[in-house]
Amino acid sequence: MSPVSNDLELELKHLIIDTLELEDVTPDDIDRDEPLFVEGLGLDSIDALELGLALQKTYGIKLDADSEESRHHFADLKSLAALVEARRVK
Amino acid sequence: MTTATLTLEDWRAWQPGRTPLDDRRLSVEERPGATSLPAMLRRRLNGPGRAVCDMLAALDPGADCVLLHASRHGDAARTLEMLYALTEGEPLSPARFGMSVHNAIVGVHSIASGNRRSLQAIAASGAEVSALFSEARGYLAEGEPQLIAVFSDAPVPARFAYHETHSEPASAVALRLGLATTPSAGRPLTSHDADEAMLRDARPPHPSDVIAWLLGEAPLICPTRRLMWILDS
Repeated sequence: MSPVSNDLELELKHLIIDTLELEDVTPDDIDRDEPLFVEGLGLDSIDALELGLALQKTYGIKLDADSEESRHHFADLKSLAALVEARRVK
Repeated sequence: MTTATLTLEDWRAWQPGRTPLDDRRLSVEERPGATSLPAMLRRRLNGPGRAVCDMLAALDPGADCVLLHASRHGDAARTLEMLYALTEGEPLSPARFGMSVHNAIVGVHSIASGNRRSLQAIAASGAEVSALFSEARGYLAEGEPQLIAVFSDAPVPARFAYHETHSEPASAVALRLGLATTPSAGRPLTSHDADEAMLRDARPPHPSDVIAWLLGEAPLICPTRRLMWILDS
């Protein structure tokens, strides 16, 4: 797998902030290694569904909502960027 | 069944655009701060939702009152626009779907405040004030010492405005109510039959009409129930 560019990580930070209406969060607040859900950024299960929809709309990536694999992809920003890099069709 | 008189113990109101008064109970902020909520919960609320949560935190700081929340249209902007998205084959936003339900605002408040009491959402086709007072009487008659009755509304989306006789800007009001039989320092609040002359000019009350009534500027009348309410000093 090729190293994920910082540009893509920054793009994903903006996607997360805009899609999830994180009014007080800036891209600098999102650490690539910190958990996105519950701890770290503190997103919830509705955010997970919303983010899944945004990935589908923006990059054409379809995920299974309940799978262990999806759980891994959503663990942190770095895993999310790796998923987009590997599976994007647009 | 009690016939004891309702009492108004305290109130809060939000009406952006209204001339500010030297009264901390009335907020005219365009966008309420909703500082009673953590940012991660606050982000999904619209203006009335933010105002309602702030008013509930002020009137029920212990988060142990029964809460009634009435709204004629609820978050019609989200609900109706989602129906359009569906007809156009667009996927629905899960967050917007979650917040489109009628009890969404008190639900968010409950999560933030830890209030685990009865939370009731009401829509009454223009008779929201009457429905709130009826429900309040029920809970108080069953022994609740006090409760909070909230009424909020926002305009319906522009493409539905044609169906609205009286479109009003967003506003919200919250009343902490008790009964005259309990030792509270509230103002007696009584209902009366409205006379024909009053009914002729009356429209279904909006939260802004309740605010005008609380400030002593106008009577509060419900034409469909043919009732009016008097607040003694």
